[in-house]
Amino acid sequence: MAITTATVTEAETTDSTGTSRFAWLRAFKRPWTLTGIIVVAVFCVLAVIGPWISPYDPSQVSKTTLAPPSLHHLLGTTQTGQDILSQMLYGTQVSMIVGVLAAVIATLLSVIVGLAAGYLGGISDEVLSLLANVFLVIPALPLTVILAAYLPKTGSFGIILVISITGWAWGARVLRAQTLSLRKRDFVEAARATGERTSSIIFRDIFPNQVAIIAASFLGTVTGAILTQASLAFLGLTNVTEWSWGTILYWAQVSSALLTGAWWWFVPAGLAIAFLGTGLSLVNFGIDEFINPRLRQAGIGTKKAQRAQVKAKRMRSVKRRTRDHDRGPVVPYRPGSSDVILELDGLRVDYVAESSVTTAVNDVSLTLRRGEVLGIAGESGSGKSTLAHAITRLHKPPAEISAGTMTYHNADGSTSDILTMSDDELREFRWEELAIVFQSAMHALNPILTVGAQIEDAIKAHRPQMTTHERAARVLELLELVGIQADRVSAYPHELSGGMRQRAMIAVGLALDPEIIVMDEPTTALDVVIQRQIVEKIIELKDRLGFSVIFITHDLSLLIEMSDTIAVMYAGRVVELADADEFYRNPRHPYSQGLLNSFPTLSGPKRELTGIPGAPPDLRKLPTGCAFNPRCPLAFDRCTNVVPPLFELAGRAEWRQAQAACLLYEGDGQAGQAEDSDDATDRVPQEAR
Amino acid sequence: MRVLLRRGFFYLVTAWAAISLNFLLPRIMPGNPADALIEKFHGKLSPTAVQALRVLFGQSHASLWQQYLDYWHNIFTGNFGTSYAYYPTPVSDVLGQSIGWTLVLITVCTVLGFVIGTTLGMIVGWKRGSRLDSLIPITTLLSSIPYFWFAICVVLVFAIILKWFPLSGGYSVTETIGLNWGFISSATYYAVLPALTIVVASIGGWLIGMRNMMVTTLSEDYVKLAEAKGLPKRRVMFTYAARNAMLPSFSSFAMSLGFVVGGSIVTEVVFNYPGIGTVLFKAAQAQDYPLMQGIFLVITVTVLIANMLADLAYVFLDPRTREG
Repeated sequence: MAITTATVTEAETTDSTGTSRFAWLRAFKRPWTLTGIIVVAVFCVLAVIGPWISPYDPSQVSKTTLAPPSLHHLLGTTQTGQDILSQMLYGTQVSMIVGVLAAVIATLLSVIVGLAAGYLGGISDEVLSLLANVFLVIPALPLTVILAAYLPKTGSFGIILVISITGWAWGARVLRAQTLSLRKRDFVEAARATGERTSSIIFRDIFPNQVAIIAASFLGTVTGAILTQASLAFLGLTNVTEWSWGTILYWAQVSSALLTGAWWWFVPAGLAIAFLGTGLSLVNFGIDEFINPRLRQAGIGTKKAQRAQVKAKRMRSVKRRTRDHDRGPVVPYRPGSSDVILELDGLRVDYVAESSVTTAVNDVSLTLRRGEVLGIAGESGSGKSTLAHAITRLHKPPAEISAGTMTYHNADGSTSDILTMSDDELREFRWEELAIVFQSAMHALNPILTVGAQIEDAIKAHRPQMTTHERAARVLELLELVGIQADRVSAYPHELSGGMRQRAMIAVGLALDPEIIVMDEPTTALDVVIQRQIVEKIIELKDRLGFSVIFITHDLSLLIEMSDTIAVMYAGRVVELADADEFYRNPRHPYSQGLLNSFPTLSGPKRELTGIPGAPPDLRKLPTGCAFNPRCPLAFDRCTNVVPPLFELAGRAEWRQAQAACLLYEGDGQAGQAEDSDDATDRVPQEAR
Repeated sequence: MRVLLRRGFFYLVTAWAAISLNFLLPRIMPGNPADALIEKFHGKLSPTAVQALRVLFGQSHASLWQQYLDYWHNIFTGNFGTSYAYYPTPVSDVLGQSIGWTLVLITVCTVLGFVIGTTLGMIVGWKRGSRLDSLIPITTLLSSIPYFWFAICVVLVFAIILKWFPLSGGYSVTETIGLNWGFISSATYYAVLPALTIVVASIGGWLIGMRNMMVTTLSEDYVKLAEAKGLPKRRVMFTYAARNAMLPSFSSFAMSLGFVVGGSIVTEVVFNYPGIGTVLFKAAQAQDYPLMQGIFLVITVTVLIANMLADLAYVFLDPRTREG
C-alpha cells in the first residue's frame, strides 16, 4: 500500500474515508486473507458437489465395521460400516447451508435493527438498542438448547431459525454505532438537507459505506452458526438421521468411538469445522485491516523495518556525560549567535512501501542555537511534522531516516550524534535534553492517568534519586509555572478545558527542564483567544527558562510573531531560511511570498491577500526540477530542470544571512553551483531498493 | 455514578426480559408438549405434578396475567417445580447440586483465559511485525475449534492414551463432598482436563482482540509521547498502551462470556462433569421443561452478575466513565 500523503496521521484519514466504495476488495491481496478465501472457497465447492462425488451412500451399512482409513474407505468406517468420507461430504452440505442461511437471516435482522436504531435515533434507538443489548447479554447457547428442545426433530429449518434469533445482536450493535457516526458525516447531512427520503438515504448513502462491516459480521455469524449447529447436533438436539458434521460427532460419541480408539470417526468433522472457521476468520482479519488502517500499518512494520528506523551509516557514538542540571544563567538569544545546540545536516526521511520509496523530508540542514525560536512553516504534506518526529526519533515504520546527521551539542561542549544513540541512550536523552509538545493535548495525554501522574512519571524515570515528596513538589511547581491551579493535579485529562490541557502538555514538556522543546502545531486545535494565551505563556517561559524552541505550524502570522528564525518547507525541502523580521519584510522565495500574501497578520500593515494557485504537490509524483515550479508565477524554463540549492542572500550584517532555494537568486550570492538536471531524477520517487 | 445506575437499570430490564421469556416460551411453542410428557410418564406422575405441568404450559383456568403473577411468586420463593429427568427431585435441589461445579469451573477458566489471552495479546501487539505475528493464524485455528471436539481430543490423549487424568466425572467416588482435603484435591484433579479445554479454546479470542486493540493504541499520540518522555519500556507498554487497549475487552465482555458459557456447557457433557451443562443436556433429552426453565434462569442471572462485575471493573479502569 502506498503512502498517499506525507504524514502518518494524514495517511490514515485519507485511507479510512476510502475513495472507492469497493476499496475493501484491495484487502484481499494479503497472503493470509487469500489463504482464508481459498479455504472458504474449497468448502463452498465441496458443499455443492459433495453428494455427487461421495463414494457411498452415507447411511448404507456394510460389514467392514470400524475400519481405519484405507483405500476403500479413505476416512475409515463407523461401527455399522458406514463410510465416513461420504458422511463428511454430505455433512459439509448440511452444515454449510445451516451456517450460511442462519447468517443471512441474522445479518438481515442486524442490518435492519442496526440501521434503524442508528439512523432514527431518539426513542426508537433506545428501544432497539435495549433489545439488542438484552439479546447480547442473555447467554445464547442455553437459550438455543432450550428452543431446540421445544422444537424436537424439526430438522434444519427450525435450527436455522433458532440460531438466527439468538445471533443477530452483536452485528446490530456494531452497525448501529457505525450508522450513528456516518449519520453525522457531511454527505448524509447534505442528502437530508435536499429532502431525500429516509429510506433512500439509508439504502443509498449509509448502507454502501457499511458493506465491509456487514460482510465481517456476516462471516462471523456463519462461523458462529456452524459451531452452534454442530453443538446442537452433537447434543442430539437436531434430526440425528440427517448427516451434518455435528451428527457425525454425535454418533461417534454415542457409539463410544473414543473408547474403541476409532479416532478417524471424530477427527475429520472437528478439523473441518476448525479449518472452515479459521478460513472465515482470516478473511475477516483482511476486512478488519481495511476497516482499521492502523492494523494494516502493523503489517508494514516488519522486523527489518523496525530495526532500520535509522538507515544512515552508524558511527561510533561519543558517550554522553551525565548532564549538570544547573544550566547557569539564562542568556537571551541574540541574532548572529554561534552557540549551536542542535544541528541537522542533509537529513532525509523516506516512507518505504513495498514497491516504492516516498521522500517526505529531503536534504534538510538546519541549526538551532541556544535560546532561539526556530519556526518551521509549510502546508500539510510539506514534511514538517515528519521532520518533528524525525528530530525526536519518534518516527515509526514505514518512515525511515535514510541519510543525514543530527548532532546535539551538550552544555559542556561535547557533542552527541542522535542518530547513533542506542535505545538506552535515546531514552536518557529524551525529555532530559529534548521534549516535544504535540498538536492535540486531548490525544497526547493518557486518558486514564491524572495530569499529575503524567508529569511525575517523566521525573521518576529520569531522576530516580528524587523522593516522592520532592517529585510531588516539582509537579506542583510545574503546574503553577503554566498557570494551572494546584488542586487540578489529580484531574484527568477529560476533566480539563482545551486550553488547560495544552498548558498541562507544556508542563509535561518542561518537567525536566529540557534544552530544546519541539512544538508540533501546539495551538492549532485551540480557539484564537486561548491560542494567544498559550503562545504568550510559551514566550514567557522561554525567556525565563532559556530553552530553545522548534515551533512547527502552518500559521505563518503566528510564526513571524514568535520566532527568531523562520524556515519554510515545501515538498520536504527547506526552500527559505531567514531571520523572522527579514522574512516578513522581504520574503525571497516565490512560495514564501505567496504564503505571506495568503495570511492576514495579527499586527502590521494591511495588504492585499492573494494566495497561491494550485494544490500542494503529491510527494510520490514530484515535478522535475524545483518542486514548486508548476505553481510558481515566476517560473522559467530552467526551473523544470534544476533542483535549486539554498542560495545565500545578502541581508543585514547582524542577522543570520537569508537563504532561498530559488534560481532567481542564482549568482546573487556565493552559494555552490546549482545541481545539474541529471541529479534532478534523484528527487522523484525512486524504485525500491 | 450515573453510568452505574443506567447499567443497573439495564440489567434489571434484561433480567425481567429473560424471566418473562422463560414464562412465554412454553406457552407459545407449537404442539402440545404437556400431554406428550404426561403420556410419557403415564401413571408415574403424582396428580400434583400433572397439575404443575399443565400450569407450566398455560393449561390452567387462571387468566394469563394471574399465571404471570403466580410465576413470579414461584421464582421469588425458589419454587421451580419438580424435575422429570430426576423425578421426583425438586428443580431447585437439582440446580443447587450442580451450579457450584459450573460456577467454580467457569469462573476459574474465564479468569485464566482472560489473563493469559490478554497478556499474550499485549505482547504480540507490542512486538507487532515480528515473528510473533505468526502466532495469530495458530490461535485463530485454536479458537475456531469447537470446544466439545477439543474436549474429545483432550480426553483421547490425556485420559485414554496417556491415562494421566480421569476420563469423566467431577470427583472420585471414594470421596465425600465437603470442605475436606481429599475431596478438594480430587475435584481439582478431575477438573484439570475440562479446565484445560475451556482455557485453551477461549485464549484465542482474547488474544486476537487484545492484539488488535494494542496495535491500534500504539499509534495513539499518548503512547508516542510516553516514548518521547523516555519512560521505561515497561511503563509505556503497561500503563500507557495496555491499560487503554484492554478497555474494549470489558465492554465486549458480554459476548465473550456468552461464548465461554456456551462452550463450557457442551464441554461438561463430554466430561460428564456434574455441573449445570450436563444437567441441561439431560433435561433437554428428557424434555424436562421445568428443569430447563430453572437452568436458563440460573445461567442468565449468573451471566448478568458477571457482566455487572465487568462493568464495575470498567468504571474502575476508565476514569472517563466516572463523571457526571
